[in-house]
Amino acid sequence: MDIKEFIQNFADQFDETDASVFNADTEFKALDEWSSLMALNIIAMVDEEYDVAIKGDDIRNNKTIEDLFNDVKAKKGE
Amino acid sequence: MAFLSIPNVTIRGISACIPSNVEENTDIGFYTPGEAQKVIASTGVERKHIVDDKTTGSDLSLKAAEKLLNELDWERETIDIILYVTQMPDYQKYPTAFVIHDKLGLPESCMVLDLYHGCPGWVVGLSTISSLISHGSIKRGLLLTSDVSSRTNHRLDREKRPLFGDCGTATALEFAPGGVSPLLFETGARGKDGVALAKPYGGMRNPYTPETFNKEYAMLHGAAEMTDGGSEMDGMSVFSFGITVPPKSIKKLCEKYDIDLNSVDKLVLHQANKFMLNKIAKKLKFNSAKVPMSLKDYGNTTSSSIPLTIVTQCREDYTTKKQRTVGCSFGTGLSWGTVYFETENIVCPEILIY
Repeated sequence: MDIKEFIQNFADQFDETDASVFNADTEFKALDEWSSLMALNIIAMVDEEYDVAIKGDDIRNNKTIEDLFNDVKAKKGE
Repeated sequence: MAFLSIPNVTIRGISACIPSNVEENTDIGFYTPGEAQKVIASTGVERKHIVDDKTTGSDLSLKAAEKLLNELDWERETIDIILYVTQMPDYQKYPTAFVIHDKLGLPESCMVLDLYHGCPGWVVGLSTISSLISHGSIKRGLLLTSDVSSRTNHRLDREKRPLFGDCGTATALEFAPGGVSPLLFETGARGKDGVALAKPYGGMRNPYTPETFNKEYAMLHGAAEMTDGGSEMDGMSVFSFGITVPPKSIKKLCEKYDIDLNSVDKLVLHQANKFMLNKIAKKLKFNSAKVPMSLKDYGNTTSSSIPLTIVTQCREDYTTKKQRTVGCSFGTGLSWGTVYFETENIVCPEILIY
């Protein structure tokens, strides 16, 4: 799994937030455009792109995009 | 593996009853301007029918059952089993199926069962009642479903309030030796994730204390804000479950019983939300035109959502044609159930208003 690609996939879910805002350290739940519906988009993206089913706690307990990336990577067994 | 192939039993009719009162999602008070539209765009749910504070689920199911029996011209004396699916019984004690048994005027020889289940309840209930009928001595049965979620969900629950509607349904089944295709099932559960859809207080594990009771009562009526993240439902976990498990279950059923999914007439999915249903259809590469949706006007009606969708979206096809259907429901448990069934010219009255 590639962190750059993950950040790109993550950023693609957003409409109003500029792509330049997203990096490994981004605290995604602090973004203005973050919402419970956005969380569903991220869950769907992770399922589609990485075939990993993340749960509510994975969204709640991870702070940065890299945290979530590491979680997905671990679940994928990489 | 919970695969079942149940021969010699067939569905003869399906009916559904909704309350007359409608709640528009755009009228929900806790939304900021524009927020309701976003929720509607994502979930697909615009409005729900909801009961008043006196109507129970069994009232809705009873009306659906009476109409169905009349249209089928089935005498009450010929009903050998009723199975009622709910998570919101009429009473704390005394299974609601007995209330229905009494009000419908069914004979003492009738077998009476409650099945405590939520969203997957119609499919799981169908597997239960059809198994009993397939033995041959029980000839006719009614599978009833209903929940009145609007009466148990907290008024300020941001996740559940826009989604859940109330409905009751009845499905009539009959022993039909030879000549009918078996009902095919795949069911399963992931009990470790059940807390995602739970009401933790008020049962024997956590009996109400004055404190928890008062808090529950206040939240129920919107007099207190929600705690624990603003919802009783872990919507994210339920969503993740809903987009990953159903497609796998449907594929498993089709592989096991050699069904060409693309050849079926309808794929009727539990009406959780539009976003989820589209994802499931896409994963299966299934023609979304054959995935009927009723959630726009009725929301998620838990165990009633598959029969309600058949009644409101494709009545004509079911009453005038042979139909090959795959149904899949998921949620409570967390668990799921997928069914394949064939019907021909069944009785399916227009949606009833309570």
